[in-house]
Amino acid sequence: MSVIEARDLTRVFPMPAGPVTAVRGVSLAVDPGDFVALCGPSGCGKSTLLHLLGVVDTPSSGTLTVDGEDVATLGDVARSRIRLRKIGFVFQRFFLLPMLTAAENIELPMAEAGVSKSERAHRVHELLEYVELSKRADHRPSQLSGGEMQRIAIARALANRPRLLLADEPTGELDQTTGQHIAELLDRVNADGTALVIVTHDAVFARRARRILTMRDGVLVSEERVR
Amino acid sequence: MSAFAFALRSLVRQPARALLGIAGVAAVGALLFDMLLLSNGLVISMERMLSTTGYDLRAAIGTAPPGRGPLIEHAGAIATRLRTLPEVARVTPLRLSDGLVVHTARPFAVRVMGAEPGSVGAWTVLEGRDVRASGEVLVNQHVLELLDARVGGPLELRTSAPGVRTVTPPFRVQIVGVADFPFESERGSTVGLSLEDVDRVSGGGGAQSADQLLIATAQGTTPAAAKAAVERAVPTLTAMTNAQVLVRLQEGGLSYFRQISFVLTTVTIGFAFLLVTVLLTVSVNQRTGEIAALRALGFSRRRAIADVFAEAVLIVGSGAVLALPVGLALSRLLDWILKGIPGIPASLHFFVFQPRALLIHGLLFAFTAVAAALYPMRLVATLPIAATLRREVVS
Repeated sequence: MSVIEARDLTRVFPMPAGPVTAVRGVSLAVDPGDFVALCGPSGCGKSTLLHLLGVVDTPSSGTLTVDGEDVATLGDVARSRIRLRKIGFVFQRFFLLPMLTAAENIELPMAEAGVSKSERAHRVHELLEYVELSKRADHRPSQLSGGEMQRIAIARALANRPRLLLADEPTGELDQTTGQHIAELLDRVNADGTALVIVTHDAVFARRARRILTMRDGVLVSEERVR
Repeated sequence: MSAFAFALRSLVRQPARALLGIAGVAAVGALLFDMLLLSNGLVISMERMLSTTGYDLRAAIGTAPPGRGPLIEHAGAIATRLRTLPEVARVTPLRLSDGLVVHTARPFAVRVMGAEPGSVGAWTVLEGRDVRASGEVLVNQHVLELLDARVGGPLELRTSAPGVRTVTPPFRVQIVGVADFPFESERGSTVGLSLEDVDRVSGGGGAQSADQLLIATAQGTTPAAAKAAVERAVPTLTAMTNAQVLVRLQEGGLSYFRQISFVLTTVTIGFAFLLVTVLLTVSVNQRTGEIAALRALGFSRRRAIADVFAEAVLIVGSGAVLALPVGLALSRLLDWILKGIPGIPASLHFFVFQPRALLIHGLLFAFTAVAAALYPMRLVATLPIAATLRREVVS
């Protein structure tokens, strides 16, 4: 069963000058362990599609199932629970909470999911090692570099062992070398079994995916199988 | 991490904002607390003063305040008659007047209090002895200091009717002791005489007239029953219980303090509400990206709202707690200033602490915390996650 399956997804934004269709009739399925790169020019609807797949936005029409469950009819609590347990999110701007340490940022989704304190501590330790930032556990985001912040953000996204990780331009704010390190880390996440959907402008990064989906004007125009 | 722990971290992260908010709420809270102490302070203080005299009833002709209504003629005889009633334990006729002490340096005004010799509760002798007969006077410490006199020395009194220049000869008495007089102001001058002598000082012929009769209820009798018995025995008298006196005071001059207190309480609560609402709204608007990211990571709307509410509770709660010592200190200062008004009894307080004020203070601030958090909570509740994340990236 696919981790996520979208059928004929459409997202229309009502605007003063008239409705704008950001995503138009997109259908796609992401299987366990899959690695999908969403590419296309700015404003083509990549991020909107990612938000729809991540259950943070509601499609104007079409259906979306996560682990076989139709999310269109779910309320806020149930949708939040799906995001918390089944989907991880990595943002271009990291969005780490500045008043928390790196370890506390990673711990936060687990606390929200009701994971026990001892289990949380163990998992935080494990994730800090995974992203090779054990020594930065007690540092605040302001004391970390951009690359380190993104690695902590990835660890936070993995905290509740999601089946799917969504990343919106995860290297967009980083220099080339740091971006490459983050790409390698995401490769490793995928190799360890987590399905990835990544929005990126970086063609080299996109080549790391198994499938490259290209969008234009809200429509999926091509799919390329890379490996 | 609980919503409160989370909110605490948010406040610590922006110490200037947090301190500004807490200090603002504390300042407003101190004023609010003082207004609550003022709203009932005078009534409570007056109640304490009335009860310390040891009398439950005050009887007079009519309902005019003491010294302003008609005199009770033959007050001594009436008091003797009332003492025979089983509902009555003690009766003290009392007369209040104004007088001038003739002094070599400069005459000075005094409050003249008249009572039957040996009356309980009319005054407390601190030095020397009580007045036993006509021609004897008790003075308070301040009069003694003004005269630079001693117990046993002479004193000359003259009537002092407002706006009347008197030509009556001064009335000469001997100081037999120093006393503490009830309802005396901080630096007030009071002398105590027999009823007859007060009448003489006031230009009369030495009649036993009184403004009011202080009546103590006998054990096992209620003030209401004693009042009924007194009014039955002497129909020309109107007796009032201490509670009725208080109600009259509340309906009269003291009601202004209540109204002022109510208006200022409403205004201060309004300020606290606006302050906290603005702080929280600014805080939420600064963190929309973080909030949207947390929501995208699976934090429920309820949890995001709880975080804002917890922050409101922490700011308002800390400010409200800090407001108590500040408010108490401020109330002492204001009380001291107000007691400087001439004629205010030294034992009267405008601001009186009472547990009820603390409870109302807590309830009003709990209400403020909830009300102030409503708008920012609504902002969080209606925050569109995807649109906010998109906007953050674009910006």
